[in-house]
Amino acid sequence: MSEKAILFDSSKCTACKGCQVACKCWNELPSPTELNACAANFTGTYQNPPDINGITRLIISFNETEPAAALATKPIGWAFGRRSCQHCDNAPCVAVCPHGALTQDPDTGFVNVDQAQCVGCGYCSSACPFDVPRYDGGDGPLAQLHLEKCTGCLDRVRHGMEPACVATCQPDALTFGDRDELVATAREKVAWLRERGYENACVAGDSEDYPTHVLHVLKYGCEAHGMVEHPQVPATVEMTRVMKPITGALSGLTVVGLAAMFGLAAGYKRSKLAYNPETGDTIDVDKGVVVKQGDGQDEMSVMEHITENIGRKGGR
Amino acid sequence: MSKGVSVSPQDWASDQDFLRREAVAGERRIKRHSRQTRWTHGITIVCCLLLCVSGLFVFVPALGQVLGAQAVFTIRMSHRVIGAVFVLVPLISAIMAPKGVAHVFKNLFAKWNSDDKKWMLLFFPYLFMAKWIHMPDQDEVKSGQRFADGMLWVAGALMGVTGVLLVLNGWLVDFGGASGVILWLHDLGFLLIAVFGLAHIFLGAGIFQPYRGTIRLMFGDGTVSESDALYHWGHWARKELESGKNVIRK
Repeated sequence: MSEKAILFDSSKCTACKGCQVACKCWNELPSPTELNACAANFTGTYQNPPDINGITRLIISFNETEPAAALATKPIGWAFGRRSCQHCDNAPCVAVCPHGALTQDPDTGFVNVDQAQCVGCGYCSSACPFDVPRYDGGDGPLAQLHLEKCTGCLDRVRHGMEPACVATCQPDALTFGDRDELVATAREKVAWLRERGYENACVAGDSEDYPTHVLHVLKYGCEAHGMVEHPQVPATVEMTRVMKPITGALSGLTVVGLAAMFGLAAGYKRSKLAYNPETGDTIDVDKGVVVKQGDGQDEMSVMEHITENIGRKGGR
Repeated sequence: MSKGVSVSPQDWASDQDFLRREAVAGERRIKRHSRQTRWTHGITIVCCLLLCVSGLFVFVPALGQVLGAQAVFTIRMSHRVIGAVFVLVPLISAIMAPKGVAHVFKNLFAKWNSDDKKWMLLFFPYLFMAKWIHMPDQDEVKSGQRFADGMLWVAGALMGVTGVLLVLNGWLVDFGGASGVILWLHDLGFLLIAVFGLAHIFLGAGIFQPYRGTIRLMFGDGTVSESDALYHWGHWARKELESGKNVIRK
């Protein structure tokens, strides 16, 4: 199977949220019925819930902009966006997941979640340049959290179906297919939009610097649609990745070093010492000799210390 | 201390008389660590070992996958509970004995004299050539001990602080991108604990033959024999033996 992708064409999206609903239905995620669920206060936005969360893998974002000059009669310009996992190539969340709960599907390139393996450590959240991974499972310091994020509906794709969001999209704003073909389609569409005066139109997810398996045709430009223009993997991801081998190597070296010290000191014996406060003499009780008078600082050099007993059988 | 030094006949006679008296009087031991110190150290050590093991089940996928996610979750939660004990016990102990804390830090930051510097330079050769090298006398805390203990203090504090922040993250606070830095610092703390902790156990538990008996300092009655005290902390031992304040006979 060649690598797959989902293409979101914002110029076709009507923000009907059918994809959100389909995602919830297919993945059996609950849907709170409160007003603008999960928001602390009513904000007046159609974006609902305000962001992806532990029970919502996908939202359509309603980004408000100044209306284009041609649409000056309208009070507001809307740039709809699709906020969900971008299924990065070489996904940093997969790299840092310590428990193998996140894996990159070799056939499609989608980032899959095995919730049974998730221990809720939060490493993936800290690594994601799109701030996507969310957790469900309660509140409190001992809550059993598990990761919720889009899987690209791998369970459907493996059976020859499209992802649920794509299958339900009525205006065909979402397309599923081979990534290479969709990249070409997206670029053609952006060229077409630019010819018609949308000079900020762009494709997101097609760059060689940071390729993803969700592609976006953004009619008004990245910023207007709330898309991250230059995704950056946090430096801590690489640093975390190298910590394991470094810790393992240094701990191993320490153990080896200590074992060598143990072996070399085998059979070590020393004389019993006693201190006579009346004379200030420190006495080697076994040999019956005074080994130090008073409590002054040592007068030998470091090299003298190292060499003074070398050659003596059995050491000191 | 292998070479003898010459002393006056009067001192020699006094020393012989002293040794005869000591032979029948019983072993002199110096009190070094209080019961509270030993309990605090003991609880912290148990917590630290359990934290290392439970942390490894999250950190090393192969270990975690042997047990399965549910068991790892339980281990992870136990990591938080034990972590709370690891943070709270030293804090409570410090509040109960602020003078003790001041004493510990005074020793940690004591100025290094010539013997301290020489001891540190000789330490690594000594570890591999203990039979041949005798070390300069030391005060209450050896210079290398100050460095290693200091690193354990730093690593422990780093683990404690970052651990608390990680528990709070996502529950009461959202640290966003900073959580990656906190996680990395937690990993760094583990690296330091692993290296310095192993060395600390090797020496402190007396696995290293020249340090035999040191385990009694923290896991016994907190006393050290006169002979061991003179070997490990010569300057300190002489001061204590002269004052007699903390000297007992057994």
